[in-house]
Amino acid sequence: MANDNREVLLSVKHLEVSFYNNKKRFRAVKDANFEIYKGETFALVGESGSGKTTIARSIIRLNPTSDGEILYKGKKINGPISKEDQKDLVRNVQMIFQDPAASLNERATIDYCVSEGLYNFNLYKDEAEREAKVDRALQSVGLLPEHKSRYPHEFSGGQRQRVGIARAMVMEPEFIIADEPISALDVSIRAQVLNLMNKFKEERGLTYMFIAHDLSVVRYFSDRIAVIHKGRIVEIAPTDILFRFPLHPYTHSLLQAVPIPDPRVEKSKELVIYDESKRDLSGEKPKLREIRPGHFVFANDREMAEYEVKLKDMEQNPVQ
Amino acid sequence: MTTMDDRFTFVKVDETASEHISAPKYSYWQSVFRRFFSSKVAIVMLVIATIVILTSFIQPLFSGYDPMNMPYINQRDMWFIRPNATYWFGTDNVGNSLFDAVWFGTRNSLIVALSATAITNILGVIVGMIWGYSKKIDTVMLEIYNVIINIPFMLLVMVMMYVLGRGIPQLIFALSCTSWLGTAYFIRVQVMIIRDREYNLASQCLGTPLHRVLTHNILPYLISVIVTSIARDVPNFISYEVFLSFIGIGLTTESSSLGYLIQTYSPFMTSASYLFWIPVAFSALISVSLYIVGQTLADASDPRTHMV
Repeated sequence: MANDNREVLLSVKHLEVSFYNNKKRFRAVKDANFEIYKGETFALVGESGSGKTTIARSIIRLNPTSDGEILYKGKKINGPISKEDQKDLVRNVQMIFQDPAASLNERATIDYCVSEGLYNFNLYKDEAEREAKVDRALQSVGLLPEHKSRYPHEFSGGQRQRVGIARAMVMEPEFIIADEPISALDVSIRAQVLNLMNKFKEERGLTYMFIAHDLSVVRYFSDRIAVIHKGRIVEIAPTDILFRFPLHPYTHSLLQAVPIPDPRVEKSKELVIYDESKRDLSGEKPKLREIRPGHFVFANDREMAEYEVKLKDMEQNPVQ
Repeated sequence: MTTMDDRFTFVKVDETASEHISAPKYSYWQSVFRRFFSSKVAIVMLVIATIVILTSFIQPLFSGYDPMNMPYINQRDMWFIRPNATYWFGTDNVGNSLFDAVWFGTRNSLIVALSATAITNILGVIVGMIWGYSKKIDTVMLEIYNVIINIPFMLLVMVMMYVLGRGIPQLIFALSCTSWLGTAYFIRVQVMIIRDREYNLASQCLGTPLHRVLTHNILPYLISVIVTSIARDVPNFISYEVFLSFIGIGLTTESSSLGYLIQTYSPFMTSASYLFWIPVAFSALISVSLYIVGQTLADASDPRTHMV
């Protein structure tokens, strides 16, 4: 994995996000470190409440960070930043939301929903150009220009999510954060939305940060995967490496949880439930370390040695 | 199975066919009016309210009624004429036509109630939206609200009327100087409910400035709440005005209102009961009709009722 000569678009260093409830501090994200390269799809995977969305929202400045820094193209974007930088960031980083029913303004027409960003940044010369841009954005997601005068409640879930994608795409961003864009959709619509996102990636060279809890989707869609557990990133690896050589016990359990579409295999499958309290946590404090180029795992020296043995064993006797 | 049945031909699939929406176009205000006019009671009340409001503003222009002018005060035969064909509502203790007096009074009552409602709601909605959206303003406003709202409203209005003196502008000021805080608080709560919904976060991600978030994302959701608030305020202010004038600190003879008429004629409640009951009936009629129209409109402006 020659990642070194690729351009780093976003880098997150020692990120910590805390929430306060009556002065009681809750750290939703602890010491998160990762880099996203230009043109790749980076997936963030973890169970509900693990802090995936919190990380995404702190990148887009919806959640304030309590420690660490987020760099976009080498520029710090968390904490107080200038109005110009904020504008730049909004122009270039867009988000696709999880719930298409909640993320569109029900009292605005599709025309307004899609052109909201255009209005904010005056991205059009005259009314005709704005309309042309909206028409093109709608057509690029498979909707019709006649939908402009409609309201969001008249659309199906898949159509609404495509409106959400059109709204992000009309800004011509470089980087898109997709926060579980398909988990609220019908199974039959999911592929449609994913294909659409892939189409845009190829056409425009976009970079995605894809948040999901469904590993089968992530496997199909992403280049690199970060596994997050209780606000801590436990493993980062390219997709095929992660699926072939899952090192961290949590990654292992997560991969096992994916159902196999074969009843005989599924029935005989032995599920390992990840339980942190049963693990041997002796030794010094663990941190994210690189075990192979591009493959990071959260471990201390003792665990590192264990993983090394495990990895060698898996490399010599590949399963399946 | 390689043979092709020539009865079948290939058809090209029209990809856009599944995207069309066959339902008729939805328009918010059209649906509001369709919903509103589906209620017969509301139509009747709307007609009554319209007639009363229009007549009260037009009739005094033609009748030339002036409460300070009492041309028949010395003509005993003009006093206390029972309602008849000439004097529809009869005449009072100084020989003035009650019909003219009632419309004149209704006009003044409506001016007070509508102005106070307008000030209360415009100020209340603007302040309430900003109050609900900004956490910093919230902490300050909440303290101001807690202090002012704990002063009894009626007491405050009465003190203000004693200080400012009687009259229409003074009454409007006294009624609306603190009432907007209640509306603002009501709006604040509603804004806080919808403030953190995902579509508002989406607008934030698109860099939408606050004023456009308020006008496009928040205000449309508040329409039915605002209409409810207006529908509640108009009859309330009419009754406040009637009450204040009745206890003698509202309006004066020159700007006589329904409340003033009720107060003036209350001694004749048994002797010439029509003098008392006709203004009371008008006051009730206006309150009830405006309240029902307002409530039906508030229901109709809630889009959840449009889908059925």
